[in-house]
Amino acid sequence: MKLEVNNISVLYDRAVVLNNVSLHVDEGEIVGLVGPNGAGKTTLLRAISGLIGWEKEALKGTVGGKITLEGSVNYNGEDMLKLRAFEIVKRGLVLCPERGRPFREMTVLENLEAGAHLCKDKKVIEENLERVYELFPVLKARTNQIAGTISGGERTMLAIGRSLMAQARFLLIDEPSVGLAPKIKADLFERIKNVHGMGITILLTEQDIGFAFDLAKRHYVLSQGQMMAEGSPDQLLSDEVIRKSYLGL
Amino acid sequence: MIYFNLFFGWIKQEIFAIPGRVIALVFFLLLIALPLVTQDPFYLRVFTLALIFAIFAASWDVLSGFTGQLNLGHALFFGVSAYTAGLLNIHLQYSPWVTIPCGAVIAVSVGLFAGIPALRLRGFYLGLVTLTFPLILLGILFAFPNFTGGELGVSGISRVSSSAVVNYYTAMVVFTVSVMIMWKFTDAKSKLLRTGIILHAIREDEITARASGINTTYYKFMAFALSGFFAGIAGGLYVHYMRIAGPQTLDLFFSFQAILWTIFGGIATIYGPVAGVFILYPLLEFLNLTAWGELLRQIIFAVLLIVALMFMPEGITVWILDKIEVKCPRCKVVNVFYRKKCRACRAPLHLVRESAHQYNKGEV
Repeated sequence: MKLEVNNISVLYDRAVVLNNVSLHVDEGEIVGLVGPNGAGKTTLLRAISGLIGWEKEALKGTVGGKITLEGSVNYNGEDMLKLRAFEIVKRGLVLCPERGRPFREMTVLENLEAGAHLCKDKKVIEENLERVYELFPVLKARTNQIAGTISGGERTMLAIGRSLMAQARFLLIDEPSVGLAPKIKADLFERIKNVHGMGITILLTEQDIGFAFDLAKRHYVLSQGQMMAEGSPDQLLSDEVIRKSYLGL
Repeated sequence: MIYFNLFFGWIKQEIFAIPGRVIALVFFLLLIALPLVTQDPFYLRVFTLALIFAIFAASWDVLSGFTGQLNLGHALFFGVSAYTAGLLNIHLQYSPWVTIPCGAVIAVSVGLFAGIPALRLRGFYLGLVTLTFPLILLGILFAFPNFTGGELGVSGISRVSSSAVVNYYTAMVVFTVSVMIMWKFTDAKSKLLRTGIILHAIREDEITARASGINTTYYKFMAFALSGFFAGIAGGLYVHYMRIAGPQTLDLFFSFQAILWTIFGGIATIYGPVAGVFILYPLLEFLNLTAWGELLRQIIFAVLLIVALMFMPEGITVWILDKIEVKCPRCKVVNVFYRKKCRACRAPLHLVRESAHQYNKGEV
């Protein structure tokens, strides 16, 4: 389950969003991707999960729609950039978008079912559903509620649950703690640890440095589309320049 | 006897307890009974055409209502199939049972072709491109008047049967089967097929749908093909009923009619467009019978639409169902509006906000 991102570059027209970014995540690891606004964290996750490739196709020929995507994303020996988004999901590499992005008009259960659509075996779907409900009991209480009416933290949990329904082996979580109250943040922190405990590898982006540093042992610092540093929280904090310029601590 | 009881119990549970299904059952029984009540050719003609147009409107709903791919040129599928069926019948003397499926298959391939721009374009841009498709086809038809009949169209096509009643029942059977298939295909609560939930996901948020592993391209094409197929079935039936395949089947206003019927009845529901057609189409035809109605029918139609859109923005069926059905807040089972407690779990259906005065008097 090793993920290797090699020299990936993304350009929107002439604006460089990612410039020769490389990183690697080993199996069973939990790795953080930190950096200020506009650093390209979300774009990197979107590129890995095949959404940028799709956008590139879909926007071809429109004004400002010229997207350049270079480099390679190696996951289990396959180049993810050559695959389409649903094929990537089929291989167990799943993205949880920022703020959960649920299907707002559907119920929570329908959202989870939509996530399970690649799985054909009804029994496995039932098992996965049980597992998700065990992990996030709050979702069970909300089963029949319309997903547009649940809270921010629940939306993030729903997105993670949806990914688990798709039988994720590797989760890309985009800003799990964004817009959450400290108490809910702490709860979500435990849940993500539980997910990791189930043997799922996690790469997550985060702006809340404290949250990320508590959760993951290894981090990448991204700024203005460039990889600035890599290391454990202690290493990053001991570097005066990194600490002041990018972590703001 | 025990089977009879079981069956009756099932009917009671699954149909009589749910107002929407009672209405559907009554509607279906009325459709069956119509030729028994009157054999007047005018009424049979209006309702046969209503059945055909209901398939057409529902097929627009599959594509544009459920998948969100705005199609303003839906008459394309109808017209393609109409001309295919008509020409096959005139030139090769094939029977309607062959020409209608042939027309539908051609409409599917045209649907797949029309789906290509949908991969790039969204919303109104897709609408404008689809709008031009019937116009292009009209241009082609007018370029070969010897083969296609030009502006007069192809006439003298054979009917399914010479009897108006048989024609009516044929249309009714095809209508029932088509609408059932389309409904099952798009129903998000269906246990049989999961496509409904996927189409809903694509309509709501394509990016999340992609991220959850849904092959949106595949399902969009599927919706185009299925929508084209049933519009094609409607086109074939129409041509064998009216005995003429003319340019009016590709008319711009005909495309919009499907949209008006669907929006009036309730978009993304399947039963909405059916209700829309069965309310609006006969109404306008009956207005034609009177002298004043003939003058005012367009105005009445417009006023009716405006009023409906103002007071029932989600369509008349959704509005009515909202009034007569109550979903249990706990178990989501549908109940009749006058019930106080859920028929399945006995939870109170309506929140009672009792006043302090009543509370003190011990009334609550």
